[in-house]
Amino acid sequence: MKRRRFIQSLAAAPAVPLVAQQAAPPAPAPQAAPPGGPFGRTGPADPPLQTVAADLAAQPVAPVFCNAAQFAALKKLGSLLAPPLAGKPGALEAGAPEFLDFLLSVSPAESQKLYRDGLNALNAQAAKQFKVPFAELNATQADAILRPLLSVIPWVEDLPKEPAHRFIAQAQRDFRTATQNSREWAAANANSGRRGRGFGGGIGLYWLPIDPVKG
Amino acid sequence: MAAKEYDVLIVGSGHSGGMAANILAEKGISCLMLNAGPQADFARDRVAKPVYELPYRGFGEPGRHPHIYQATEYNANQWVDEREVPYTYDADKPYNWVRVRLVGGRSLFWARESFRLSDFEFKAADLEGTGDNWPISHADLDPYYTRVEGVFKVAGRKEGWPQFPDGNFVETNYPADSQTIKKVIDLATKRGIGCSKGRSAQGQNGLASSINLLLPGALATGKLDIVPNAIVREITTDKKTGLANGAHFVDRHSRREMHVKARVVVVAAGCLESTRLLLNSGIGNSSGVMGHYLIDQIYGINVVASVPEAMNGKAPQGLMGGSTFMPRFRNLKKTEKRNFIKGYCVRISSGGNANPEYFASYGEELQAKVDSYAGACVSGGIYGERVPRFENHVRINKDVKDAYGIPVLHINAKDSQNELNLAKDAADTIEELFHEAGWPTISRTERFNPPGYSIHELGTCRMGDNPKTSVLNKFCQSHDVKNLFVVDGASFVTCGWQNPTMTILALAMRASEHCAEQMRQRNI
Repeated sequence: MKRRRFIQSLAAAPAVPLVAQQAAPPAPAPQAAPPGGPFGRTGPADPPLQTVAADLAAQPVAPVFCNAAQFAALKKLGSLLAPPLAGKPGALEAGAPEFLDFLLSVSPAESQKLYRDGLNALNAQAAKQFKVPFAELNATQADAILRPLLSVIPWVEDLPKEPAHRFIAQAQRDFRTATQNSREWAAANANSGRRGRGFGGGIGLYWLPIDPVKG
Repeated sequence: MAAKEYDVLIVGSGHSGGMAANILAEKGISCLMLNAGPQADFARDRVAKPVYELPYRGFGEPGRHPHIYQATEYNANQWVDEREVPYTYDADKPYNWVRVRLVGGRSLFWARESFRLSDFEFKAADLEGTGDNWPISHADLDPYYTRVEGVFKVAGRKEGWPQFPDGNFVETNYPADSQTIKKVIDLATKRGIGCSKGRSAQGQNGLASSINLLLPGALATGKLDIVPNAIVREITTDKKTGLANGAHFVDRHSRREMHVKARVVVVAAGCLESTRLLLNSGIGNSSGVMGHYLIDQIYGINVVASVPEAMNGKAPQGLMGGSTFMPRFRNLKKTEKRNFIKGYCVRISSGGNANPEYFASYGEELQAKVDSYAGACVSGGIYGERVPRFENHVRINKDVKDAYGIPVLHINAKDSQNELNLAKDAADTIEELFHEAGWPTISRTERFNPPGYSIHELGTCRMGDNPKTSVLNKFCQSHDVKNLFVVDGASFVTCGWQNPTMTILALAMRASEHCAEQMRQRNI
């Protein structure tokens, strides 16, 4: 038996308890389907209404997690770690800082602390070395702060333990994912006739909640 | 309404429960299968979505599945949510318990790698001079493996190697090896390391699950009823005889408490859920061994090297691509003296890319490095065997209950020096092969994932001939409660490096036929 038929045959088992069957009123006589239009009733046979994604209609409110100084540093960091290359959008074009700011707002406290402390440390170091916030550094100045904090990570679970190094390693990973999984990255791939690797601008099969418990 | 009475209650619907239902129902034995979760409809419950339309842009809901490394935002709803069904562990002993409660269980999503255990695993104590043998050998299980491989349509290449027993394989045409893979095979062969190909269950339509290969046949007999969303909290026993006589369960949606009667109980809830159920029921543990000897497999090690002729996109056709598979080659003789027992298999792949995290760089400079290595990498990793140890165990944590009021498991599993030494040997061996080939290392780690990651948790109700040192006999039948069987991976004595699914299926088939015969003879 084909898998689909098997699933259907399982689904065909009686689902209405006997008591409910006895209490059910007589079936109504067949009626014509109600008319459509603005006040008509929709049913399973009707096609779903066309909707648009929120990010096509509106801009995200940001920052919600960072303060202004932290968010400026986050955007600067994104522009350095994931610049636009080879016709692909960079972190800024992909809205990655705004997205990560949202993601951090719903993340565990440990992740929030890593970013908050890390961004504050970048600003503090920039002020100490160059008397300006991190966001206002030129490329050479930013490199002088960033490069000593870079790490090699041979195993995915082994982010550096030292907080400043760990923050930069995590931010690199997050900016890469947020940029490559953006609508803008997918559009650039489509324009070049390529699908991204993995989920990079690609399409996958999403499992909806399966028979979720209510309440 | 009078409840129906069944001959056999089967708890769980994955590969082992499905096999039990298939064997028993086809012999005319009435079965009820209780499954803790709902039934998935692959057409109704899945939709195609671009990653940028997911709520968390592919990152997944933060904190939702902290122990399921395999979880993505796409598949997050298929796994058991540990906020609903938690478990506990000591902070210094993390354990990744990866569960699926859908009808069909983890058989819906397994990787389909299909290997037999060999007597290097069944009779490991004879070779190693420590630990315990299984009460059965490969010869005992061989006819069942053969039948299972036929049902699951296992593709593989026969080699005639005792540590890698051949089976009932469907014919497969493997593509020609690339030059880099040929080089690895040549160098490995000179070291006495055999190179083969993976073995995989083809199933039907890309699925090798209980829901398409086992349960349809059982349902067709009219002897099987399946109840989804039925969470079993306790196996009940007759106070006079001590025999199992059914189970209490709770409906997942309504929380209504129910009881079902049965002449025989077959537990197939997936190793640790089965053991949790038995411990919560307080049965079958006169040995005190239940919950102990928890094992699973090492997944990890990563050695990546570059092939100079393939750098900067200049690989000539036929140089890169493909893979080779090296079944266990360590500790096959008593005379072999190493700083670890047991063994591992190696997978070598050619033609990959370098992970950006291998370089301390960023921005355009990093991208240039990554681009230069594109398609020019070879990499190696392992599946390794962990040592069964009494102290690696699970117990009931009465202080924590799941959403249904059922006490949870506390898991205590930690690796020993043997696992660390085995991993180092593997990384050394792979790196040496790459260096002999003239391929410089880009990245090397001896790290491997924490216990549980392989989703091959085994043991905790191990089988044996001695009721004082084992929970089950060689037919997966409780020493204490004769009409109770545990047919999933809980019966394993050693885990091997092999994906255990074929062995679980063969054991479940053998146990179910034994059960049916015992029922026919009225012994149970």
